[in-house]
Amino acid sequence: MKTLTTFLSYAIAMAITIPAVSQQKKKADEGRAILAIPEVEKKDVICFALYTVSDGTLKLTAQLYPLAEDDPKEVRLEIEKGGDWVEIAKVDAIHPGWTAPFRVENWDDSKKTRYRVAHGDEATYEGTIRKNPKDKDEILVAGFTGNSIRPTHGGDISRQDIIDNVKEADIDILFFSGDQVYDHFKHYAAWLKFGRDFGDIIKDRPTLCLPDDHDVGQPNLWGESGKISTLNGASDGGYSRPGAYVQEVERAQTSHFPDPADPHQIGQGIGVWFTNLNWGKIDFAVIEDRKFKTGPAGRVPKQGPRPDHILNPDYDPNSVDVEGAVLLGERQLSFLDDWTQNWKQCDMKVVLSATIFCGGAHIHGKASGRLHADMDSNGWPQTGRNKAISTLRKGFAFHYAGDQHLATIFQHGVDEHGDGIWSFGVPSIANLYLRWWQPLEPGSNREEGAPDYTGDYLDGFNNKITNYAAANPETNPAGNILNTRSAGWGIIRLNTKSREITMECWPRNVNIANPASKQYPGWPRTISQFDNYNPPSWGKLGELSFDVEDPVVQLVDAETKEILYTVRANGKTFTPGAPKGKMFMVKAGKDAPETIVSERSTVGSSPRMVSLMEKPQKNLNSKGPHAD
Amino acid sequence: MVCCGNPTLVMKDFPTILKMPGEKQDQTLLLCLRLGAFLCFAGWAWVHFYWQAPYGVLLWQNNIFSLLERIGFTWEEFVGTGAGDGWVQEWSGRVGWLFLACTILSLTARNASRFQMIGLLTGSLFLIILSYAKFVKAQYQLPMFVEHGGQMLIPVLLVLALFFGVRHPTTVCTAIIAFIMTFAGHGAYAVGFWPTPSTFYAMTSVILNVEYQATQIFLYIVGVMDFVICLGLFLPPIRCASVLYGAAWGFVTALARPVAGMSPSLNYWGADQFLHEAILRASHFLIPLYLFFLWKKPSSTPFSESTKET
Repeated sequence: MKTLTTFLSYAIAMAITIPAVSQQKKKADEGRAILAIPEVEKKDVICFALYTVSDGTLKLTAQLYPLAEDDPKEVRLEIEKGGDWVEIAKVDAIHPGWTAPFRVENWDDSKKTRYRVAHGDEATYEGTIRKNPKDKDEILVAGFTGNSIRPTHGGDISRQDIIDNVKEADIDILFFSGDQVYDHFKHYAAWLKFGRDFGDIIKDRPTLCLPDDHDVGQPNLWGESGKISTLNGASDGGYSRPGAYVQEVERAQTSHFPDPADPHQIGQGIGVWFTNLNWGKIDFAVIEDRKFKTGPAGRVPKQGPRPDHILNPDYDPNSVDVEGAVLLGERQLSFLDDWTQNWKQCDMKVVLSATIFCGGAHIHGKASGRLHADMDSNGWPQTGRNKAISTLRKGFAFHYAGDQHLATIFQHGVDEHGDGIWSFGVPSIANLYLRWWQPLEPGSNREEGAPDYTGDYLDGFNNKITNYAAANPETNPAGNILNTRSAGWGIIRLNTKSREITMECWPRNVNIANPASKQYPGWPRTISQFDNYNPPSWGKLGELSFDVEDPVVQLVDAETKEILYTVRANGKTFTPGAPKGKMFMVKAGKDAPETIVSERSTVGSSPRMVSLMEKPQKNLNSKGPHAD
Repeated sequence: MVCCGNPTLVMKDFPTILKMPGEKQDQTLLLCLRLGAFLCFAGWAWVHFYWQAPYGVLLWQNNIFSLLERIGFTWEEFVGTGAGDGWVQEWSGRVGWLFLACTILSLTARNASRFQMIGLLTGSLFLIILSYAKFVKAQYQLPMFVEHGGQMLIPVLLVLALFFGVRHPTTVCTAIIAFIMTFAGHGAYAVGFWPTPSTFYAMTSVILNVEYQATQIFLYIVGVMDFVICLGLFLPPIRCASVLYGAAWGFVTALARPVAGMSPSLNYWGADQFLHEAILRASHFLIPLYLFFLWKKPSSTPFSESTKET
């Protein structure tokens, strides 16, 4: 009896405590996103559709609201021909996730085509498959990241400004670099909301969405080829959510990508989607910088209060560059190596990935949350990072990414500052987590008049980097909840005629067509395509003059036979850059470097005329090359 | 009534414990609570000294910043500059010493020493703060706070056992509440009343080497069982079985972290990453074990006879 009385007393105490805690929860709920799947009428069951066209294949994925048990599962794809709708494909919607992925071969990308997705007798969803803009001089790619929908970050503020600006600028490609979804358990509901927010621009242009850590339901992602992660925070490597969940996410976000370059599955039956998209004579490599990456926990010596954070500025960076740690992995490096050499029907190359190849922030979370290095960044592992940059610069690839919630422009270095590719990390659509680029010392070799935080640096892993811009949030953001937190988006203008790349970084809720509208400080910035591999220590070989426009030129180390780079020249002349004191074989061709132009060129060698049109092209293995 | 324990009693004595006379059984009951508190504090002390306790989610807030500004602190003084520690890091380290002290107090505390018992209760208060921080970090999911009931209450239980006695209704009721909180909180996640934590799936898949669907079914079943054993506490015929199952399941789930995560390929086999996760969950099986020993009647020998024999 005494026990029962005591227990009842406790029960009463709990009865008071639990509502009090619930009240606290209610208060917290006010700052949270409401994420529910709305009930829609049968005619509205198709939420949105995403597509890409590459190498004559259309891939389009229709995203449906939940179908009832007695609803037909079949979804049809129709195109408009002579005023009529003609069915060209049909598939059953895949559950879980209610996606309908279509694949149509022999697609004629030389003309614009109206399409509609149809379900049952009532539901249709219309859009436009654009013609391949090969004839355009300038291709515009809008870049987005970090789509927080939480009111506390301004996530509940309408995206209409983005929709209007994308339409106004007539953007050619949409690139969502990651964290389209922040809910770790309800990807489907959040993805439908993403579709409601952005579907109006997605339906009419090729779109690439790269699922990043939050999309697959974890705060950080070191995928380790599909391993299962059991550590809170997932720094032991692998996926926290079940493989089936990850597969559903990737089906929703990537099943409309061009076919993967190397489709072998990884652990837990998770697929891969790294591939390339050739659009408007720009060759985009779409890579997975998280999927194969090694988790740091237990692999590297502990350097801070979290396995992935380094706080001690005096630590030895070499100690964390452990043997066997992977960044992109051999499969992707092999793909990229081939990709940099293939210049068929393309003038410029861009690599798209989740994040940039360095530790690109000093302060994390709140002002004063200084980290020396963060292993979630692609600055770690250093060997893997250097392999990635060394491969990408062989194709003069420009890097477009996001993830950091902090817009930056960096040029990456491997052996010296400025010898690698440039990157533009775009700001978040709504900024969930603040970061600042705030080095303790001014950078060296700054441009005249540039802010102190620009210039040459070593990041927390001793990687060589040069900062050109950073859109830091305010120290204690208040007021304009989006832009004081440096929310926004990016545009890159890829000019295939001048071979220039212009980076633009726009705050939210400005009209980018209005000349009075200002970008974040440091933008716009224009670089040459050829700046993506132009080491300061290099010299120039003799100028090559060709009898064809825009030939493909390749430089090969005469001793090691290692390819230094392959690139499409702009016009009829090209002056190859090269390291001093070595000999190089130069190859060239109209679309591939099939002709040996010179076998032993050195820096300072004399100019030469090269005929690629009149002579039959030499076989790569042919003997008797020219020599300087 | 015996109010102090015999720390030399170990688990190998388990078969004989069931037939022990009352006094020795009381020592065993107290040992369960002492060990539970000791391991819980030791695990959390490890987190404080070696990793990072989750206070940040409570302290790195704009309203805290405003308050600090009013009393003359700068944000840098509060959270550090990265080049140097601030108030948060310094005090987080100091709290680690409190946990270490409580670890020792768990073994040494006697009912004669109010000071030691106040120390343990202070430790309990900090465990409540830690649990609240995890609750906030989990976006105010109620089970996240509730399932820490065993950890929050184990020092309180030890103090009650020392002060009132191991069989006192207050002690027993607190143990029942700690048991229910731990298992109902866990069950609410496993059944899916709240989103099941990823680690539940991950550990099950890795240890049992089963696919997602099988994992779902498994978690649902063990989640239901969590609630069944909570109800079982109030049904005398099955309460011993319930707490025994609770002890076994609590032990398995605590051990699941290192079993699933440790590997010879990791530095120290990953022990520094995972072992403390098992240690600080010791109360999840030691509180049920306490209840089991409490309710388990001596099997064949009547209490009076066994007392006489001794």
